[in-house]
Amino acid sequence: MLYSSSLHRISLMASKSQRLHQFAGTNLQNPSKRARTMVTESAMRDAFAKYAEYLNALNEKRERVVKASRDVTMNSKKVIFQVHRMSKYNKEEIIEQAEKDLTAVTDQYMSRLVKELQGTDFWKLRRAYSPGVQEYVEAATFCNFCKTGTLLKLDEINATLLPLSDPSLEPLKINILDYLLGLADLTGELMRLAIGRISDGELDFAENICRFVRDIYRELTLVVPHMDDSSDMKQKMDTMLQSVMKIENACFSVHVRGSEYIPLLGSNDPSSFLVGVPDIEL
Amino acid sequence: MQHMTPAFRNAYLTFSRSLNPNPRTAFILATIHSLPIITSSQSCPYLRSHFKIETFRSLSPISCCSSISMAGDSALSSSHSLEKQFEGFRTQLEESGSLRERIRAVVSEIESTTRLTYASLLLVHQSRPTPELLEKAKSQIDVLKKHYEQLAEILREFPGQYYRYHGDWRSETQTVVSLLTFMHWLETGSLLTHREAAEKLGMDSSEFGLDVEDYLIGVCFMSNELPRYVVNQVTAGDYDCPRRVLRFLTDLHAAFRMLNLRNDFLRKKFDGMKYDLRRVEEVYYDVKIRGLTPNGELVGDQAVQGQS
Repeated sequence: MLYSSSLHRISLMASKSQRLHQFAGTNLQNPSKRARTMVTESAMRDAFAKYAEYLNALNEKRERVVKASRDVTMNSKKVIFQVHRMSKYNKEEIIEQAEKDLTAVTDQYMSRLVKELQGTDFWKLRRAYSPGVQEYVEAATFCNFCKTGTLLKLDEINATLLPLSDPSLEPLKINILDYLLGLADLTGELMRLAIGRISDGELDFAENICRFVRDIYRELTLVVPHMDDSSDMKQKMDTMLQSVMKIENACFSVHVRGSEYIPLLGSNDPSSFLVGVPDIEL
Repeated sequence: MQHMTPAFRNAYLTFSRSLNPNPRTAFILATIHSLPIITSSQSCPYLRSHFKIETFRSLSPISCCSSISMAGDSALSSSHSLEKQFEGFRTQLEESGSLRERIRAVVSEIESTTRLTYASLLLVHQSRPTPELLEKAKSQIDVLKKHYEQLAEILREFPGQYYRYHGDWRSETQTVVSLLTFMHWLETGSLLTHREAAEKLGMDSSEFGLDVEDYLIGVCFMSNELPRYVVNQVTAGDYDCPRRVLRFLTDLHAAFRMLNLRNDFLRKKFDGMKYDLRRVEEVYYDVKIRGLTPNGELVGDQAVQGQS
């Protein structure tokens, strides 16, 4: 083309207005044709109005689910922090409070999520609610471990969610993937807890955590290759191994240093021999 | 260090890091302590457990006893039930994996059928007579429908999991929709609606339907095809074609603007549509300015009527 682009644009605009006149002219000349194009155009508009309605509803729902999920995340985090506040002396109290908080999260926020998701394909909006559910799994399993020393099972979590949903509809079940992703995050929290317990002198507790985390890691190594989008999980597994090793190293160093320690007579502070525990990376 | 296997390195780090708070002595001590470990990997677990036993003994008796009682029956049974749960997960995930493989097998069939259809549709750019090539392309629709039936059948075994595996047939379905809408447009000059497309593919049941977003993305793909079509039609002497395409595309673009889109793939495709529109406008202008529509709207009318 020889003319410059700006000239071209101007001429294009001119052609547009010209075209409009032309169309108007032809439309006047051909009423039957005008009617036909009007029909196809309005049919298209009708169809798109339906799609718009569908998309609006879907987007609004997604937005609500994201919000609910964010609330679940935030409040589940609070539960986790509550558990971390435990010390040797107030364990029962703290865990009791954490459990109460968790129940509140379930009743207030998870129930909202369940209500939003009711009657839909849970998989469709999974991206929207997955982070919240993972955090919730983390909080619930974390609480449960501190109380009983065992892993809260997926079926048990789903059983607590069951009363939240309308019995006539299919209940929301946390899927395996979100549960496993939540468990992977759990080990990070357990690592922090173990380090805290060691510095508080509760070595047996730390040992328990160590054993538990190792078990989970081992089991997960078998499951992860079968997961749908395992790239995310693989990264989590690496982090998890780091956590496991941190706990192991901490337990180990306490043992080694503990062996050097000769208890002072009359001293009944069990944590005193931990003074000078090597810096543990967190 | 770099050539050590991870196991070696871990052992080394464990020792060097945890034995001493003072880094300088730590290094010396660690080298001394870990020498036997580095020379033989088998000695490593032995040494570790040896350390453990020793420290266990020397720890205060209280913690020793309590940790033993905790590691008793309850811990064993709990780790057993843990194992059982994960075993269940594994079977479920394996099942889902094999289902995915089945889906993918069907999807690859769909893909190759799509390619055949597309290849025969591409002849439209070489100005072959449209009805003839449409005939051939349409014969593939039934094949596609059959494949989608297979897909629906597979998913019927797993109710409520349509969107879990949706990603596996998503992009292929979008291409299928683009072909269907293109064919329909060539034939009638109008847009194939979502419902009609779903019917053609047998995806009109409630549990196995055509996703609206997939349909819309497919329509966008179809619009990408139009500028090329216009250019080639004009080259072949159909000077009315730009007008028809422009009108259709303008309507389509206007209709798309009714949608509130998120910042996703569909939005991106829709944003691309305006370039198609501009290209067609350019062609229309080029044709018009040179007076290549001597009989004006008369020719156009005949062409439209001949098609519909």
